[in-house]
Parts: sequence; C-alpha cells; structure tokens
Amino acid sequence: METKPRIPVLWLHGLECTFCSESFIRSSHPIVQDIVLNLISLDYDDTLMAAAGEQAEENRRRVMKEHAGNYIVAVEGNAPTRDGGVYCTIGGETFLNILKETAASAKAVIAWGSCASNGCVQAARPNPTGAKPVHELIDHKAVINVPGCPPIAEVMTGVIAYLLTFDKIPALDRLGRPTMFYGQRIHDKCYRRPFFDAGQFVERWDDDGARRGWCLYKMGCRGPMTYNSCSNMRWNNGVSFPIGSGHPCIGCSENNFWDNGPFYERLTSIPVPGIESTPDRFGKVAAGLTALGAGAHLVSYAVRKASGKKIGGASTAPDQEAGK
Amino acid sequence: MATTLSTLKFEPGEPRYGRRYVWELPVRLSHWLTVAAIITLFWTGLYISAPQLSTAGEPWQHFVMGNIRMVHFISGYVLLISFLIRSYWFWVGNNYSRSGFPFVLKASWWADLKSQAMQYLRLERGHVHLGHNALGGLTYTIFVIGLGWFQILTGLALYSESNPGGFWSVLTGWIIPLCGGSMQVRMWHHTMAWGFVVFAILHIYIVMFDSGHFNNGLISSIVSGFKFWEEGDLDNDRWVS
Repeated sequence: METKPRIPVLWLHGLECTFCSESFIRSSHPIVQDIVLNLISLDYDDTLMAAAGEQAEENRRRVMKEHAGNYIVAVEGNAPTRDGGVYCTIGGETFLNILKETAASAKAVIAWGSCASNGCVQAARPNPTGAKPVHELIDHKAVINVPGCPPIAEVMTGVIAYLLTFDKIPALDRLGRPTMFYGQRIHDKCYRRPFFDAGQFVERWDDDGARRGWCLYKMGCRGPMTYNSCSNMRWNNGVSFPIGSGHPCIGCSENNFWDNGPFYERLTSIPVPGIESTPDRFGKVAAGLTALGAGAHLVSYAVRKASGKKIGGASTAPDQEAGK
Repeated sequence: MATTLSTLKFEPGEPRYGRRYVWELPVRLSHWLTVAAIITLFWTGLYISAPQLSTAGEPWQHFVMGNIRMVHFISGYVLLISFLIRSYWFWVGNNYSRSGFPFVLKASWWADLKSQAMQYLRLERGHVHLGHNALGGLTYTIFVIGLGWFQILTGLALYSESNPGGFWSVLTGWIIPLCGGSMQVRMWHHTMAWGFVVFAILHIYIVMFDSGHFNNGLISSIVSGFKFWEEGDLDNDRWVS
C-alpha cells in the first residue's frame, strides 16, 4: 500500500444532500484523513476541493485525460433524466452528461448512498424529474452500489480500502452491493433478535416492552428485509444504531424505501390505484362479499324450494324417471 | 378425443346407476395435503405478520415466533410437495386428473363454462360431470394452481432472504426486485393469502350445494375416490387418451 501510487478519485455530486460525505468524513477505521491524504488522490469533489469554478472543472477533465482507465469515479446522488436532465446542472452542463462523460473511461464506479444506488427520495413516486440511479445510466462499467441514507462511514472507507488493497472489485450480490457489508440483514445480527424469536414485541412507544428493549417488529421495523451492517458495525465509531436507540429500522438502504410506507407499519398498503387499503382490510372485504354471494345463492335456493317450485327445470330429472 | 360433452348412454337392460373410480389416490392425497398446509399456513402467516400472543419473562424461556415460523416453513414445504405430486399426476393419472384444464381455445369448453354457470345461477338441474366441469376447472386453475404457485414462489423468495446466494435464493430470489423490493413481496404474499379464504368459501359452499343437489357423492369422492353417476350424466373428460 505504501509504495502504490495514490489512485485518482473524482467524486461527483448530483441530486443529493451531501449526507454521504458527512458520513464519510466520520470514518474511524480506517480514519478518513488517512484515506484522503495518503491512500487516494481526491482530485475533484465539490465539497472538499480547493479549486473552484472553471479551474475545478478543468481539473476534472485533466484527470480524465491523464489517468484514462485508471481513476475511480465516486458518485454521490443521481441524475435527473427528464427534459434532457436540466434539473441538475453544474458549471452550465447537465449532471447527466457529466456523469456519463466522467464514467466513460473510469476504472470503476462507486455509487455512494441510496440516491446513486437505487434512486432514494428523488426517485420516489411520482419522481417528477425522472431521477435514475447510476447503474441505470452507465453501460459496460462495473458499478459498486453502496446503499444507505447515508451508508455507514466504515462501509464507505472499507470499500475504498478494498479496491486499493486488492486492486479488484469486491464480491457483489444480485443488486451490485458488496456482500461483505450487505450480505446479511440487520435482523440476522440484531441484538434484539432473541425477543423476536421469543415473541416479545413492543406494542406502543411507552409500554413496558419498549422499556425492556423488546423487538421493534410490530412498530414497523424493516430490519427483516434490510441488508446492511448497522447491527454489527453500528454508527459513530460503533456507538449505536437506530434499533439500539429504540427506533425501528426504516430500511434506508433498500430499493424504493420511501414508497414502502408508512414507516411505522409492518405492511405497506396495496399500490393498485382505486384500492386505498391494507392487505387485511382488502382480504376481509373480499371474503365477506364471497360469503354474502354464497349465502344469497343458498337463500334463493331455500326460498324456491319452500315455495314448492320444481327445482331443476326441464333438462332432466332422471332420478324421478328412473325411480318409477 | 376433444372435450366433447358425451353423455353416458345405456344399452337396454344395463343399470342406470353406477359408481366410478374418479379421483385416484395421489389426487386425493394432494387435495388433503393442500388443505392441511393452507389452513396451517394461513393462521401461522397471520401470526407472523402481526404477532398477538405476548409472552412474559425472559426471551430465553420462549421460542413462540421461532416455532410458528418453523411450522409455517414446514407447511410451505408440504404445500410445495403436494403441488409437485399433483403436477406429476396431471400427466400420468387417469383422464379425470386432467379434466380441470382450462381449454380456452375450444368452443365446447366455453359452452360448458356458460351452461354450468347458468345452471348454478338459475338453480337448474343440469347434468353432472364425472370429472371437473369447466367452471370448476377454471376456478381451480385460478385459485389453486395460479394462486398456489404465486404463494409458493413469493414465500420461497422471502424464505431465501436469510441466506442470499443459497439454493432458494438462486431459484426464486429474482422475484424480489421484480416486485419492487421485499416489502412489496410481503404485501402481495399477505394480500393473496386472502384469496384462499375466498376460494375456501366458494369451494366448500358449491361442493355442498352440488353434492346435496345432485346426490352424486361429490363430497365423499375426495375421500373414497368414487363418484356416482346416473343416466344422462356427462363424461367429458377424455381429452387425452
């Protein structure tokens, strides 16, 4: 590591909130100063560079030319695609073009956070700007998705450290996430899991179970469907994580997590237009209507039989014929 | 032979009543395995989605959710095995085991569908089918085969989440991104489970109505395999011979 040249990193910012950068600079193992000053050459980053204006853009183009095929593009945020991508422009150019141009000769692309990995809030319904995650905009390029809103600091620096140490892309899962950090659900390593298995659940925020630290499953916890390292690596140098602080996981590293609300319900509502209902209410109404229909059939049958009308009509009545 | 609605004809002197072995053992076995599995799956599924029984004491003293999930998963495997048995028997069983297939390309199937629906609605005495009638076959195709496989596949996809890259994950994991994420798969898995309740009401009512109305031993046939026929009944189940 000490003898390797520092690899140039172009850190782009699209539609985003810079929370990923905020998370990144809090990394402790490896400490972020070491990454930025000794391991990589952070040649372009809107929020962390000395250059400004034309000089900054010039710097980006110089790196693209001088280190073609040998630099890493780290993308924070995603690009709006509607109306030619005009909803996010930097230095007079659309972010969509900047992203495609910069990624074209990159060695690898890292998609920081849920925005870049899966769209996040700006791609939530109805997605007015047509925002798309990075892997849908770039072809023929390895994209490492590091979702989370934001991702854990040590996960971010860990991905970079892996790239620099082994000089290859870490093993990725079906959704392009490094399996070493996203290979298991929060639920699988959650310290409250024994309460889940025992059937001990918080019912209200102020009940006895909440005080005893029981499982937050019934409060809408997304731990059972969220792949992330929060429950083992935790946040802020391992101090805590949402469930540790008594709040259910909202699943911020999963696809479409904004559209899977309400956050404090286990089941999301049925997304079919015209059915503004939960699955259970829908099911009970459907079962009730079916029972009503069967009941109506039976009642009409009974009424007809009681009124002495011959049931069966003309078709055949072989039992009567044959009986004679 | 196609699905012609051939009626049972009789030579003079031949008996006008009889019974025939319609539902072979694997069909009946699959039916009751499915019944047991779905009832268990439905109730355990309701618990898993909204656990109601709260246990007191320390977590090491209990394993309620763990046990109920285990029962749910075992029942899921039972349902899968039951479906595999029935799918196999569709090909190798007697012609009645295929009689529920929806022949949407055959005019005679549509005619039978219509006449059966009208008979039920107008409370008429029609001809009894020895196998499935078209309406019954269509209902089973939608509410048992379609719904059943949907629940099995989405269930296995959710089951596979604890072991990404494992056997079930490779086989069924693609369903999760297809549905738009795990939350959506859960929501559909839960919503569609109510389809079995709708089906159970329809199925049990119509079977009791039919059996009482036609005296054809429909209910006992799923235990014994034998159905009673009488002159004029339809034996329209010879589409593969």
